[in-house]
This record gives sequence, structure tokens and C-alpha cells, in this order.
Amino acid sequence: MTLGSLVLVAALLVALAGFLAQRFSRRFPRVPAPIAPARGSAAAGVLYAFTKAFFPTAKESASLHLASYLAGIGYHLGIFTALAGLLASLLPVRVPTAANAAGAVLTAIGLVCGLGLLAKRTLDARLRGISVPDDFVANLLVDAALATGIAAYLDHALVPLFQVTGAVLLLYAPLGKLRHMLFLVTSRRWSGAYFGRRGVRPTPQGPGNPRG
Amino acid sequence: MAEGHVKPAALEQALKVLRERVDERTAAFLNACVRCGLCADTCHVYLADQEPASTPAAKVERVASLFRRYHTLLGRLAPGLVGAETLTEEALQALAAAAFGRCTLCGRCALNCSVGLDPAAIIRFARTVLVAAGMVPNGIQANIEAARASGNTMSISQEDVRETIAWLEEDLRQTIGDPEVSLPVDREGARVLYALNPRELKFFPLSISAAGMIFHAAGESWTLTSTDFDITNYGFFAGDIEAQREIADRLIRRAEELGVQELVVAECGHGYRTLRWEAPDWLGRPLPFAVRSFVEVMAEYLGAGRLRLDPSKNPDPVTLHDPCNLVRHGGVIEEQRYLLRHAVTTFVEMTPNREDNYCCGGGGGLLAASEHTAKRIESGKVKAEQIRATGAKVVASPCHNCIDQLMDLNRHYTLGVEVRTLGEIVADALILPVPPSS
Repeated sequence: MTLGSLVLVAALLVALAGFLAQRFSRRFPRVPAPIAPARGSAAAGVLYAFTKAFFPTAKESASLHLASYLAGIGYHLGIFTALAGLLASLLPVRVPTAANAAGAVLTAIGLVCGLGLLAKRTLDARLRGISVPDDFVANLLVDAALATGIAAYLDHALVPLFQVTGAVLLLYAPLGKLRHMLFLVTSRRWSGAYFGRRGVRPTPQGPGNPRG
Repeated sequence: MAEGHVKPAALEQALKVLRERVDERTAAFLNACVRCGLCADTCHVYLADQEPASTPAAKVERVASLFRRYHTLLGRLAPGLVGAETLTEEALQALAAAAFGRCTLCGRCALNCSVGLDPAAIIRFARTVLVAAGMVPNGIQANIEAARASGNTMSISQEDVRETIAWLEEDLRQTIGDPEVSLPVDREGARVLYALNPRELKFFPLSISAAGMIFHAAGESWTLTSTDFDITNYGFFAGDIEAQREIADRLIRRAEELGVQELVVAECGHGYRTLRWEAPDWLGRPLPFAVRSFVEVMAEYLGAGRLRLDPSKNPDPVTLHDPCNLVRHGGVIEEQRYLLRHAVTTFVEMTPNREDNYCCGGGGGLLAASEHTAKRIESGKVKAEQIRATGAKVVASPCHNCIDQLMDLNRHYTLGVEVRTLGEIVADALILPVPPSS
């Protein structure tokens, strides 16, 4: 195993430990199961939260800000592609050239989107007003990983550099705003169950409901 | 709200809540916000004032910055990097301005948050911190104290309740020419307890008469109660966990004493939400009776053929305001539409509507917080524009809290509409059973 791979594996384990510690923390009191009889279905609400609620038509935050929504999608597409490349770099196999090219393109799309979102945060006074240094640091760390990821996809000799930037990103992930990668899941589960149980989302179906 | 300095002991209490009472759900929400700011246009307060501090993200950030300081590693080690803020008097004042002055807990942002967190739940937690600091707006606190002392927020005595109901009953008998119609009070063994918003007794008694007519027409076994009748809960608005439980418990115990099978909540959004959805959790036990909104009950009567309506009795175009706590937080969405389609000649939907509808601006206890009156009226501009766009002459709303705000908006924005409860509209359309005497 190369030094870069060792650093990456160590960072991966630390990040995983950090996320697991937060996920299973006993620091915050548990919320007991709700007692009032349900009107809808919590499970249906959670399913909705992880499926249809991601479509741009489901939320005004997306439909009214389509460019930002698409930039967000592109950014995360690039991030997941880069993460796949990062994990693949630990395997004793060479990724086919076509896959490398596709990876480079998707990661590049992510980088462009990330820089676009960074520019928006810098230039938009309203957004700048609610921003903290962590917002910029997190974006730049991700962008650095994406940039080196593109380079590594194109030139295998640069994989160690990608592994190091990836390791730095992974070490920071559980500490700053990047931890939303865990808490987005738990938040959607909570709010999905809440609105599902109360029969609000997904839209109730039935003969009496013109939307059903 | 407590003016001037926050006493060190109060600050200490607030810090204790911040340290110890963040539950796992609130923590998840506070950890999830990425400050994307895309929630801004979903908030009626921001749409009306265009102030960055009114965006849900900015309001959440007021709480999240405190959370990070006391609950995250970087918040302790490098607070500047992650924007973590120490709890100080200034921080509490800013929190109060955000949590009470710029948020009605309507939850519209929660449905539209790109991450999926619930800013209203976070702001409710902020209010709990402010309760500990003694920073609840005076008007809200006064209502809590009145409810705790007398059983209702308006301190209406049992004698006054009985006299008012007796007068309404006499008036109702004369109006509809039926000596059999009654407004029963404290009747043990009735199937339904119909619980009131004290505003109805004081300012809107005709909504009680309307309910009486509807129960009479449906042949329901029902009763009112002269004590502990209050469905409102300002403890809930304040985020006062002890008070909200105590206030709900009084009415629930009264319903148990009367032995009813169902508690029907008069037209009040937060009253419905607290009693239907929240109270069992607060009390830690299921309720021995069903809890429904009067809107649901009327719709059931109509569907079962127990009510007959003549829509031509309501010829003016009617639009519907969806109370946030009944609709977005309560799930009662279609019943009011079903009623209106049968009770009025022309029903016009607002845009947007149902769970996407905007708050009237008077929710979250703001109607009782006189220090925020200007902001309340300003943030109601979105609702006023929605109403005006429908061209309706009547605005129906199954919530007395919303009705008060809508009446204020009607005056301020010269909308020229009449604001009514669903029950009043349905009662006007009723084809009543022929009295036995005739």
C-alpha cells in the first residue's frame, strides 16, 4: 500500500468514527415515539422525503431557484464521483480509460458548480450575511479535492495528490458544515415522519381529494 | 418582554436549557443547515419586509450559532471558524427578536427546506430558551398566567359562561323558531364535548350559536363546559413546556370528568394542533377519547347526510384561508373545502393554497405580543395580496386567531371583505329540520 493510500485509509477511518460518534451520541435526549393516533403514514412521509421531495417541483427552494438547485445537483454529482474515484484508488486495479474520462467530466461539472456556488455566496449580500468562514473553507476543501480528482482521473501519477486532498477533506467533514452529509439524512427522516404521520406529505390520496 | 438587562441568574437558566434540553431531533436539524438561504422566499415575513434577518436561514442561524458553541468540537476550539456564539445578554436579545418578532412558527419553510430540516421546530426550541431567561413577550405571558389561574386566557368566570350560554340559547330559539334547540352545558354522558376559544364567549358568540345549530341539525349528543373550556394554549406559543402541559391537562381532565367519547375543538388552529397532536406526548399517555376539529365533524355530518345545505344562502364569492396549525401541522386539508363547495355558491381558492398557503401573519402568539404589532401587520401583506387577488367578498377561516389577524388586515389594507368562521357559513346555509311545534 502506498503512503497516499495509508493516509487516505487513516482519514477515512477517523471520519467514519467521527460520524458514528455523532450518529449514536447519547448527548441529546431521545424523542419518544409520538402517542397521538396517526392521520397518515410516517413511513410514507419518510419515503416521500427521500424520493419525490428531491424533485425540483416539490419545493419552492428548488422551483424558485432552479439555477442554484441544478448547481447543487451538479456539485453533489461531482462529489460522489470523486468519492468513488477516491475509494477506487485504494483498490489494486486500474480503472478503464473510458471510466476515467467519464469520472473526469462529472467531477469537472461538480467543480464548476461548486465554484459557482462559492461565487454566489461571496457576491450575494443576503447569502453573505448568513455565511460563516466554515462555509467558504468547506467549499474550498471540496473544490480542491475535486480539482485534484480531475487531475488524477486524467493522469494516474497524480493519484497520491488526490488521496491527500481527499484525506484532508474527510478529516474536516465531521467537524464543520460538511457533517450535513449525515444530518441531511436524519433531518429528512424526522421531518418526513412528522408530515407523513399528520397526513400532510405526501399529498393524501382518496376520492374526496381532488389532488388524489 | 423583560426590558433592560437580563439578570445573571436568568442567563444561567437559559444556558442550562441550551446545554441540556436540545433533543436529538432539534440537534439533527441544527447540524443539518447548510445556510443555502433558498428558504428565504418561502417565508411571509421576509417576503413582506425583505430584511435578511427575516429569512428562515438567518433565524435558524441565531440558534445554530449558540448550539455550535456548546455542542460541537470546533465551536469550542475555533468558534470564529464555524460562527459559534457565546450566550450573552446581547445574544439573547437577538434571539428574542428573531424567535418572537420575526417568526410565527407557521412551518412553511419546513415544507420547502432544501435539506429537509424544520426551522419552526428550531424556533420553538429558541423560545424555550427564552422562557428560561424570562424573555417571553408580556402579552403571551399574561395569557399563560390567566389560563393557569382561572382556567382560561380571558379569566371568564363560570357564572359568566353560564349566563352567556343561556342568553345565546334563548336568542337561538327565537331566531330559528324552535323551542327544542339547546346549548347544553356540563351535561355528563354526552357523546361530544365542544370546547371553545374564549374569544368566542367574549367577542364572537354567534360562532357558538352556529355550532349549536349544526349540532342540533345533526342530532348530536353534545355539551359545552362552564369550566376549563379553553382550547387555546399560550404555553405552546411561548415554548413553555410546563405551562403547555398544565393548560392542556385541564381541558383533558374536564373531558374525562364529563365522560365524553369525543373532544371536538372549536375553530382554532393551534388549539386543534395542541390537543389532537401534541398533548398526548406532553402528558405521556393516550387520551381516552378522540380529538377532532369542528371542521372534520361538520364534514362528516354533511357526508353522512346529517346536514342539508343550501348554497344559495351564501351567494357572495368566498375564499378560504388555511390556518397553519390546522392544515400544515394538523393535516385537516380537504374537509373545509368539501364544506365550502356545498355551503356557498362560489368558492375561490387562494394561490397558493392548502399546506402551501401563507401564514396570515398572526400566528405563533404574535396577536398577543403588542410589541410586534407593526411587524405582524406588515408581514400580513402577503396574505392581504392573496385575498385581494381572489376577488372574494368573504374570507372563511377555521381559526379564531387567524380571524382576528384577517380582520386587522382587512382594515389596514382596505380589502373590503367579510371574515367568517366555517361554522357561521355552514349554519347560514343550513336547511333546518322543521320544529315539532310547527
